Amino acid sequence: MSNVIENLILCHSKDNVATARSPLGAGTLLRLTKQKTIVAREQIPFGHKVALQKIRKGGPVIKYGERIGRAIREINPGELVHVHNVAGERGRTKVKRIGHRV
Amino acid sequence: MNFLGFKRPDGKVGVRNHVVIIPSVACANEVCNAIALKVKGTVSIPHQHGCAQLAFDAEQTARTLIGVGKNPNVAAVLVIGLGCEVVNSSMVASKIAESGKPVKNLVIQEVGGSPKTIKEGIKIAKAMVSFAFRLKREKAKPDSLILGVECGGSDACSGLSANPALGITSDLLIKEGGTIILSETTESIGAEHILARRAINKNVREKILEIVRRTEMRALNLGLDIGKANPAPGNYAGGITTLEEKSLGCVMKGGTGKVMEVVEYSETPARKGLVLMDTPGHDAESMTGLIAGGTQIIAFTTGRGNPLGSPIAPVIKIASNSYLYSKMKDNMDINAGEIVTGNKTVQEIGESIFREVFRVANGKLTKSEIWGHREFAINRIGPSF
Repeated sequence: MSNVIENLILCHSKDNVATARSPLGAGTLLRLTKQKTIVAREQIPFGHKVALQKIRKGGPVIKYGERIGRAIREINPGELVHVHNVAGERGRTKVKRIGHRV
Repeated sequence: MNFLGFKRPDGKVGVRNHVVIIPSVACANEVCNAIALKVKGTVSIPHQHGCAQLAFDAEQTARTLIGVGKNPNVAAVLVIGLGCEVVNSSMVASKIAESGKPVKNLVIQEVGGSPKTIKEGIKIAKAMVSFAFRLKREKAKPDSLILGVECGGSDACSGLSANPALGITSDLLIKEGGTIILSETTESIGAEHILARRAINKNVREKILEIVRRTEMRALNLGLDIGKANPAPGNYAGGITTLEEKSLGCVMKGGTGKVMEVVEYSETPARKGLVLMDTPGHDAESMTGLIAGGTQIIAFTTGRGNPLGSPIAPVIKIASNSYLYSKMKDNMDINAGEIVTGNKTVQEIGESIFREVFRVANGKLTKSEIWGHREFAINRIGPSF
């Protein structure tokens, strides 16, 4: 179940992205745990995702504890995570990844 | 929790009491519309299909029209055909009549043109309305309810607030013996493993994987990315990045129960509990499949704002965020955005949707009904010939 942490919603403990609960300006301090904080490197619109840790190019982007796509370039903590740096892998002609291993 | 509904001759229970004028083919649309315009208490369901369709589409159109006529929210049906169409109107009428409700059929070429058919149709529709108005609501058990769960115009909040809350509602209704139909196969792509793990048996598990594979391959065989059509531009603008992300949020609407059965578009489930229906993500087409499968009420989550309704079933609109709720209050019934703001929990909103489902079952009008939203669209598989 999702976990509301101040200005973010974290859906699952495995996630490497979290959702902005309100529009977040660049430089906003984002608290992940009591000890750990990161800084929003750019503006994160309401409902959009911010990276919580470094995601290497080609690495999985995890939300709901599940893979929602892969990074098409390196993503740093605090960066906006969206179509400019993430590609889906399903229903796409250029990606051979049909069907899911169950 | 019991409710007050309209008991039909086949034992099913309606939450509405419509007299429906069904064209078996697009050629009869305006005759049906003219009758519905003249007789208060009737509704027509114009559509594009019923002729020049290949077998699988003709069969799907017929199954949909018959299913809509048999829906427990319908008290009586007038089916109008042209006379030369593929989806024969007397066949549609006789299949609906198997439910025991009053059904009549008119054929424009036999009656002798539009004005004569309209005149005759008005006479029949009036008698059907007087019949329907004599029916009274009676106490009914929740196990007679089928709730369709739908999402349209989703945003990244949908999967965090409205959809998991509706999942709680689904679990609660299933606990009361009711049925949930989760549809929109396109929006299971990337989340099918979650549903497959919850299949009641091997056959259901394979069918889940099969409908998803079929949908994905249909686009890929055309050499096209699904992502150009679904997610839609508004989904991306709302923060959804990939089809997988949209799907993982989408399937939460069905709750956590075992998947009991997978049915085809417009097919009536044989089992109770959580059922999957193979429909596209296109909301009007998906909802039409749901009502043809016997769904009496649809709960519809949205993040971008969607006004769609149905001519047969009340549609409860659930906003995923408070910005949308305050901006489109006229179209929204429930605000799940309070989960995002931290004022309410997913459980609390899920319970309030559950209570709203029963208020609506008892006759409370939804916003979609108040504004007269009656969108109706039959899914088609192949081209016209």
